[in-house]
Amino acid sequence: MSDESNGVPATGTPEHYAIGIAFGNSYSSIAHISGEGKVEVIANEEGDRQIPSVLSYIEGEEHHGTQAKAQLVRNSKNTVASFRDYVGKDYKSIDPTPCHASAHPIESDGQIHFSIKDTESETENKVSVLEITARHLRRLKNSASDFVGKPVTAAVVAVPTDVSDEQKAALSKAAESIQLEILQFIPEPIAALLAYDSRSSNPTADKNVLVADFGGNRSDVAVIASRGGMYSILATAHDYELGGAQLDQILVDHFAKEFEKKHKSDPRKNERSLAKLRLEAEAVKKALSLSASATFSVESLADGVDFRSTINRTRYDILALKTFARFTRLVEEVIKKAGLDVLDIDEVILSGGTSHTPKIAKNIEAIFPESTQVLAPATTTTALHPSELSARGAALQASLIQEFEKSDIDQSTHEMLTVTPHLAAAIGYQVSGQSADAFTVIVPAETAVPARRTQVIGGLQGDVLVRIAEGEREIKVTQAAPKAKPETNGSKEGDDDDDDDSDIDEDDEPEEIREKVWKPKQALAEFVFRGLPKGSKVEVTVNIDAEQVVSITARPVGGKGGLRGEIKAAESAQNGSA
Amino acid sequence: WKGHSDANPNFRTLGKLSPPVMRKIEPFGAQFLAYARRKRHGRTFSEDDRI
Repeated sequence: MSDESNGVPATGTPEHYAIGIAFGNSYSSIAHISGEGKVEVIANEEGDRQIPSVLSYIEGEEHHGTQAKAQLVRNSKNTVASFRDYVGKDYKSIDPTPCHASAHPIESDGQIHFSIKDTESETENKVSVLEITARHLRRLKNSASDFVGKPVTAAVVAVPTDVSDEQKAALSKAAESIQLEILQFIPEPIAALLAYDSRSSNPTADKNVLVADFGGNRSDVAVIASRGGMYSILATAHDYELGGAQLDQILVDHFAKEFEKKHKSDPRKNERSLAKLRLEAEAVKKALSLSASATFSVESLADGVDFRSTINRTRYDILALKTFARFTRLVEEVIKKAGLDVLDIDEVILSGGTSHTPKIAKNIEAIFPESTQVLAPATTTTALHPSELSARGAALQASLIQEFEKSDIDQSTHEMLTVTPHLAAAIGYQVSGQSADAFTVIVPAETAVPARRTQVIGGLQGDVLVRIAEGEREIKVTQAAPKAKPETNGSKEGDDDDDDDSDIDEDDEPEEIREKVWKPKQALAEFVFRGLPKGSKVEVTVNIDAEQVVSITARPVGGKGGLRGEIKAAESAQNGSA
Repeated sequence: WKGHSDANPNFRTLGKLSPPVMRKIEPFGAQFLAYARRKRHGRTFSEDDRI
């Protein structure tokens, strides 16, 4: 995936210092591993950790980040924003909507350019999106270099899962032009998961994780099977018209109407007033994520009239109800795409700036069972900062691979290595004396082989037969109270588009109880222990090698007389994979 | 109940593993690096542990 062929001559210098960069359409951040081995998100000279991906020019002077973003009001034509998704793309395939309020993308020699006055002269220059990206990355690189006190030469860059190889090649090229080597591109959901796993007490636990990255202009969600600390993406879903900008718009409309009522003019009709509204709406939205009410105030909003108003969180939650529901639907969509149920998800990571919104996190928490951990500031006090996850994960990966040669990294990330057999079904055990349907998982499905798992079976006595089998997860539905119509809270059944109203009654009690049960499907092997003393434990180890040969070893804990056996690979699996 | 063979009287096989699904492992994190090292050198878990 990340093997760009434009092999940069490996520098090979020991003073290779790599950082993590999260490069977004709206915001970018930079992170590194501090001297004490902790991940640290770096603030730029302005003190921002979330640095707006905006560049602006006044009389040849370049402004970046928050300073540049402020120029969207008075100098919008010379301000470039929301350009990440244009890198490496064809002019015809892009959506210029996010750029309406800033410099517009134009086509020149089949490439995407911006026409801006970026020099002291009054003539407009056509600057390619690659050049803009290079300038943005240079500012990020310089901020990082200044902070760590040594030149940053390399980076791991977090990008969405659907970024194409052409886009990656273009990003690498832009970075190369400013002497920054991109060692690897890391998908944003994997970066977020790494950021959490790095501080987890048991990072190699088997779990299904859903990562929802709610950004400024787009939202991406992914379901990841995490097995023994290795990650496989099971499904992804994207919405390119859903993000913080949609929420800002709700506040813009709200305050514009209020202004119109008072002063009989619509500030949205004036470009500059609209730009002011947008900036303030975003600030109000952020304030509402932290406190229960916020003040909206703009000097000379329209017709020279100052405007001041307040809004509380409840009001905002009602105004944004429909938009909030779209985030939840995107989450439900990706679970469906992965062929899973909400009950199969062990952990939900909310990432991206929009994940700070308490109501969005609460809505998502509500569709999952209590056993699922939802990691967001509104749902867990120990949650990490959602805006920082991608940069943190990228920094962790950068520190892992910075001493490797680029060729080594490319070889290790080649598909020869990364495409491997994964178990189609879970492997588990049944013990005599339990009900015929009882089944306990030892190795979950979607585990990449080779794999080895050990489990201890307790409470055994006398002659015991243990059967190793493949199992299947089923969702058992039991009706609790036969009142009201079914499927109100129906997690993924019928609620496709346009039934937003069903989300209003989410506080209703669920009519049905859904639970996850395991059913043995296909027996693999059996073994017996005879005459075990009361309260014995047996430790079972299942080892699946690269050729899908399963070997099983079992021994009584603290006793003797272990046994081992082997299950040969199925013939159909023998068509040489890697 | 009858064992697999006289050599291993307490164990018998009953079936075979379902054919696996080919998927991509994301090349990130310490565990992946260990996996890549094993795979590139053709080593097993225990061989790798010893080194």
